Amino acid sequence: MATATSPSLDERPLGTAGQLSELLLPFATVTGVLGLWELAPRVGWLNGGVVPPVSEVLILIPGLFADPVFLPNVGASAFRWALGFALAILIGVPLGALMGRSQLAFDLIDPILTISYPIPRAALILILVLWFGAGDVSRVGIIILGCLIPIVISSYHGARGINPHLLWSARALGTGRAAALLKVVLPAALAQILSGLRLAIAISIFTLLASELLIRQSGVGAYLFTLLDNGQYHLVWACSIVIATAGFLLDVAYVRLIGWLLPWMEGQV
Amino acid sequence: MAVVTGRSVEAPAAVKVAARGVRKVFTSRQGVQRAAIDGVHLDAAPGEFVSIVGPSGCGKSTFLYIVGGFVEPTAGGVTVDGRPVRAPGPERGIVFQESALFPWKTVLGNVTYGLAEQGLPRDRQRAVARMYLEMVNLRGVEGLYPKELSGGMQQRVAIARTLATDPDVLLMDEPFGSLDAQTRAILQIELNGIWERTGKTILFVTHSVEEAIFLSDRIYVFSARPATVKAVIPVDLPRPRDRDAIIQAPTYARLHRDIWELLRHEQKTDGERGRGDGH
Ligand SMILES: Nc1ncnc2c1ncn2[C@@H]1O[C@H](COP(=O)(O)OP(=O)(O)OP(=O)(O)O)[C@@H](O)[C@H]1O
Ligand SMILES: [Mg+2]
Repeated sequence: MATATSPSLDERPLGTAGQLSELLLPFATVTGVLGLWELAPRVGWLNGGVVPPVSEVLILIPGLFADPVFLPNVGASAFRWALGFALAILIGVPLGALMGRSQLAFDLIDPILTISYPIPRAALILILVLWFGAGDVSRVGIIILGCLIPIVISSYHGARGINPHLLWSARALGTGRAAALLKVVLPAALAQILSGLRLAIAISIFTLLASELLIRQSGVGAYLFTLLDNGQYHLVWACSIVIATAGFLLDVAYVRLIGWLLPWMEGQV
Repeated sequence: MAVVTGRSVEAPAAVKVAARGVRKVFTSRQGVQRAAIDGVHLDAAPGEFVSIVGPSGCGKSTFLYIVGGFVEPTAGGVTVDGRPVRAPGPERGIVFQESALFPWKTVLGNVTYGLAEQGLPRDRQRAVARMYLEMVNLRGVEGLYPKELSGGMQQRVAIARTLATDPDVLLMDEPFGSLDAQTRAILQIELNGIWERTGKTILFVTHSVEEAIFLSDRIYVFSARPATVKAVIPVDLPRPRDRDAIIQAPTYARLHRDIWELLRHEQKTDGERGRGDGH
């Protein structure tokens, strides 16, 4: 009888040497970049006042966390991001899935997407502020708008491309047309939806920061801008590293979480 | 169809599945229209085992999809118990040519799916599912996901999933095509047994003439695309049938030869038509 094998390890065609280099190469790349960053300002390739050596930046990070206004700002950003991202999923996934399964829904919604697709998100920030003021509505709204399109498009393609025999099987096993959307179309399209969400995470963090840099007042983007205004360039770098690391960890956590929650999924998101 | 009361010589025998003038035209991406099925009439009496054989690509799967209510015919129609087929329904179970299991559900989850839709309590679902998994010769795989099974195992799970809901009419599209000879023989016998016990009406598509003869009451031979009914061949072999004994019977040899002859002729005409297509 066949037994379950662990695909994460066994699918790789590389031998032990391959596995070793797979571990070491990224490490070497990162070390190389950091080394260059350390070296360039010291030997005068870069202006040390604007681009300080990496070691001088890194030692500032603990101080950043000690600043009593830093974490509340991070919290405000994280809250707005989570709210905007969650709302975008709640709106975007059903919308896209419906478009993928109903020509009527597609004909109704697609023109809106086609028109809004090339509009720069940054331009929308100002329009939202004019409309709703500079409060949380605009800040959350811009995140929703920022990642809605990749979510809708990936859900649409996912729902449209499902194996029709899965849907037919469910229908012949007694599932109604509407219920099949939830029971079959959604899980069958999930791999593609999740790739869209991964893209949307990156986009939404970008729009979050862009909005905070423009609107100021609160959030980690605003905090960053204040540092820049005060000429604290070392801290600007430290804060940027923290943000970049947070984004990276979020992405890693996302991929890990999916692998863990959805063991039936083929391939990667 | 007219309701027949009383005794009448012309009265049609009771019909479970009736296909009348079923035609299906597909439009290619270039806008060219080509018929896949061209006016198929087919009857299956209640409890009858009907096989469909025909050249590859002639429209057998498409025909089953129309009976299943998944695909709409361009013309003609299908009735089941006298009611026109307009949508899929749980009284018509289907086993597809490739397993079509839900990849997000375990083997057990796949087989209990239809039972859950029927509203069976959880422990009943499990008990019934286990029984059918046993029947298709699968043990110890309940917790695995479809991607962890071989093709033949997946197909057996799909068969169990469909049988478990006990549909009146079974539509089977080359269900044993991906199995090894031994499993195939076991499942043929199982299916024959289920059919004898339950009185299901079965439409069974196969490429194996041998399989069709062993299982069927009648065999429809479809022509090359576009499919028409080329011949309807009654299998006048006594039941219950014993696989090994049947192969020895002179009737078997005659049927086998006749059907092969029909199929070989079709394969040839298919090739001639294929050249004229200009893809
Ligand atoms: N959705 C579709 N769009 C266009 N053409 C189709 C479609 N589905 C099937 N066809 C065409 O219709 C014909 C019949 O296909 P079908 O799958 O019913 O054949 P089949 O008899 O089941 O073949 P096989 O024995 O190989 O399974 C084929 O030529 C196929 O290319
Ligand atoms: Mg087929």
